[in-house]
Amino acid sequence: MKNKSYQLGELEELVMIVVAILNEEAYGVKVMDEIEAQVGRKVNISAVHTTLDRLEKKGFVSSYMGGASAERGGRRKRLFRITAEGSKAINFVHQTRNALYQQIPKTSLSFTQ
Amino acid sequence: MKEKSPPKWALKFLRFFCKDKYLEQIEGDLFELFDRNHSHRKFAWNTLRFFRWRYLKGLDDFEQLTTLAMIKNYFKVASRTLLRQKSYSAINILGLAIGLASCLLITIYVNHERSYDKFFPESEQMFRVLNGTRGPWTPPLLAETMMLEISEIKSATRVQGLWESLFQIEDRTFIQKGAAYGDAEFFNVFETQFLEGDPKTALSEPNTIVLTESTAKKCFPNESAFGKHFMVDEVSHKVSAVVVDPPKNTHFPYEYIISDLEPGHNHWTGNSVWTYAKIKKNTNTKTIEEKLHQLYKKYAGPEALSWSGLDSFDELQEKYPDRHFGYTLYPITDIHLRGARYSMAIAGDYKNVIMFSLVAAFILLIACVNYINMSTARSALRAKEVGIRKALGSHRKHIISQFLVESILITIISVILALAISSVSIDYFNQLTGRQFTIEDLFTPQNLLYITLLIIIAGFLAGSYPAYIISGFSPLKALRGQKQQGGKRNLRNGLVAFQFAISVFLIAATIVVFKQLNHMQSHELGLNIHQTLVINGGRALEDKYGVFKNQLEQLSGVELVGKASGVPFHGYGDWTYNLLDGSDRTVGPYNAFTSSEFLEIMDIELVKGRFFSKEMVTDTASVVINETLAEELGWDDPIGKKISRQNKLDFTIIGIMKNFNFTSLKREIGPIVFRNGDRATMEIGAHHQAYVVAKVSSNNIVNTINKIEEIWHKHVQNYPLDAFFLDDSFQRHYEAERKFGGVFSTFSLLAILIAFLGLFALTTFVLQKRFKEIALRKVLGASVPSLLRMMIKDFTRLVIIGGTVGIGVAFYWLNDWLEGYSYRIELSWYLLLLPIILILLLTWVVVSAKSYRAAVTNPANALKEE
Repeated sequence: MKNKSYQLGELEELVMIVVAILNEEAYGVKVMDEIEAQVGRKVNISAVHTTLDRLEKKGFVSSYMGGASAERGGRRKRLFRITAEGSKAINFVHQTRNALYQQIPKTSLSFTQ
Repeated sequence: MKEKSPPKWALKFLRFFCKDKYLEQIEGDLFELFDRNHSHRKFAWNTLRFFRWRYLKGLDDFEQLTTLAMIKNYFKVASRTLLRQKSYSAINILGLAIGLASCLLITIYVNHERSYDKFFPESEQMFRVLNGTRGPWTPPLLAETMMLEISEIKSATRVQGLWESLFQIEDRTFIQKGAAYGDAEFFNVFETQFLEGDPKTALSEPNTIVLTESTAKKCFPNESAFGKHFMVDEVSHKVSAVVVDPPKNTHFPYEYIISDLEPGHNHWTGNSVWTYAKIKKNTNTKTIEEKLHQLYKKYAGPEALSWSGLDSFDELQEKYPDRHFGYTLYPITDIHLRGARYSMAIAGDYKNVIMFSLVAAFILLIACVNYINMSTARSALRAKEVGIRKALGSHRKHIISQFLVESILITIISVILALAISSVSIDYFNQLTGRQFTIEDLFTPQNLLYITLLIIIAGFLAGSYPAYIISGFSPLKALRGQKQQGGKRNLRNGLVAFQFAISVFLIAATIVVFKQLNHMQSHELGLNIHQTLVINGGRALEDKYGVFKNQLEQLSGVELVGKASGVPFHGYGDWTYNLLDGSDRTVGPYNAFTSSEFLEIMDIELVKGRFFSKEMVTDTASVVINETLAEELGWDDPIGKKISRQNKLDFTIIGIMKNFNFTSLKREIGPIVFRNGDRATMEIGAHHQAYVVAKVSSNNIVNTINKIEEIWHKHVQNYPLDAFFLDDSFQRHYEAERKFGGVFSTFSLLAILIAFLGLFALTTFVLQKRFKEIALRKVLGASVPSLLRMMIKDFTRLVIIGGTVGIGVAFYWLNDWLEGYSYRIELSWYLLLLPIILILLLTWVVVSAKSYRAAVTNPANALKEE
């Protein structure tokens, strides 16, 4: 495998992981809720949309129109899923973080623990 | 209260700005969130947060998609066409760019020339008061009196200038030019911005001086000049105010103003000052002039009567019906272009302004004609494109827009290039015109407006005809590969002939302008101005002149030294003399006091009699006149006859000089009288040695001048030597003409260059079309020279037709132009033919150079395909 490096923003990374967790069920509001529930971070819906659009443009996620529901006033959802390139990106970020984390000497973290 | 539906306005706003593509998902999510808490506030806030660049509707969401796409397509096709036909585009763009750059530079020049003195507030109410038919000089009391007695006059001031004064500031002594004298009303007429001091009192006390900002800086570099005292012409003056420098575009570029309150200056008898007046708004100048006439009758009339020996003013008017006894108003905004003799700066000429505007228009026209010719000529190449467009449903309108977009694109590129060219060449242009334009002058809002207009006008001018022709192609014929007529050939030929006409006109005009200039400069002046050194300020020598003269003549480089109250090309005053022959006639010749050496120094020829002699004591009452004056006197033999000044001083005429030029050659030689200036008398005071004149030998002039300066400073301590050569003064009279010639020939050359660029491109195209024809003719036995002759024949006809028209117009105009010169060349027959022959030769060279290649190639190459 080529040593391709991926540049991901912090929110982008978070949104991508959540999309991966939700597995075919990810759309704007759901992603927002999930981030709040799992990370405890409040994100505005417009920020989520913007991030999803940006990720799609980069080719990390793809989207399709899903079903409508009454609570949405009859409007369809736009569902997102991770692409192959996207999962590579998550893996890359995850591995590099891990590799970095491993290099921290035990002593320097002992204070915080 | 919680409602079930979200706020309508927020939704409406979202639908207004949001792209349709995103609308459904965003609305869905917003509704879902609203469903949780039914908060209007939150819904509105979330909606507002979607107001982001990426969701905003773009141009394509508002416009009809097809129109926009078509315009985009027009630009795309236009730029591809330009890139595909590189040499053709280059010639078009370069020609247009040079044309536009010339236009732009000439526009700022013309605008500058027309803007003179318009910066004054109420400039249309400002007038120069002229002394009827007697010229620009007026009596000193006129300004004050007209202001008091004529209610329509707002203010009036008397002015003298522009002279030089000697400044002594601490240990520095220098001659400062730009001296104006003005009375207390000066700043009421010439309003200006005061940096220090009070406009009301600035010139109301004697011995005060108002400095302009730059003069103040020069005199007092590191401190405020306001309130300082220094010596001006050896009298202490106080700086009463500092004003801003007058702008570049004024006929009155003063550098300082000295208060003019000399007591001896209050009379009606001499015309020694200039008068300027500002009149009240909405008053008729005719009524003011009528009142000025009455003023003249009242104050200056009695004196005029005493001169004439008549009894009443009416008789005087009857006797000299062609004279205007009174004062007239001359608008100051007209001075620069139409009243050169009233200007204190380098004056312009409206004829030149018209000429330059014409040349600018010509250049632009030639460039546009090139474009029209080339694009109609090449239209056949684009017939297929037009055919396909039409077959696919294009209307004629669309194709016209397509070609207009193309020409506007070319114009825009040319304009950008033109701005670059004119920015780079502005220094050269300044040298040519003798003005100081900066790059900022190019980019004034007014100019940018002109440029935009130019883009549109030139774009449409050049693009509309080809667009009209090409869009008329029949798609069926075009697609079948049938040849179509690319516009009327007559029109194209007409346009080429028109270009030739302009070229011939410009060449003829350039030749005549230069011949006239040369003629004036090489004209026999009647006196020798070479190696004549003139020292200004000889008055400073006082009674040491005699010693100075002797010491100078001891120098090896100096041949002869004399003195005079005036020298040629520097202006003489006109004095009135009575004729003592029983008639009541008077003459008003120019008057000068010269020493007995003057004739020899200037190499003036005597026709009759003798010049002054030092040995003859009686020569103080002798005069020498020139031929013009002798003619005016009308005596059979003037030698020995007498003329008289008003104070009963009689002078005997002892000699007649051959006419020599002492003003510009634009004017006839006027009458002049020389009086003996060897000794000072009461009437002439120290004026007789205003100038010291020396004939110097041509070798080692620098050394000679250095030695003269050394001797000068032995006698004069605090006045620097101010010396110049007389031939320089002579040359300076023709600076305006030389500049005009330079500008004119440069732009004419450019115009001709562009025309031939077009001819070159057109020939190339014609050859392409006739390639096969030439090959066939060759196969059938035509020789190369006969083929060249065939190609040349068409163009020769056009040159002759165009040239005849051009020469006709040129002659008409040039005759008019030459009217302005007293010493002028005659328009001769070879001037008729020379430009046509020149253009003809150039055309032959261009056409045959291009054709030769086609004529010598192997005809098989051209004929094998098909």
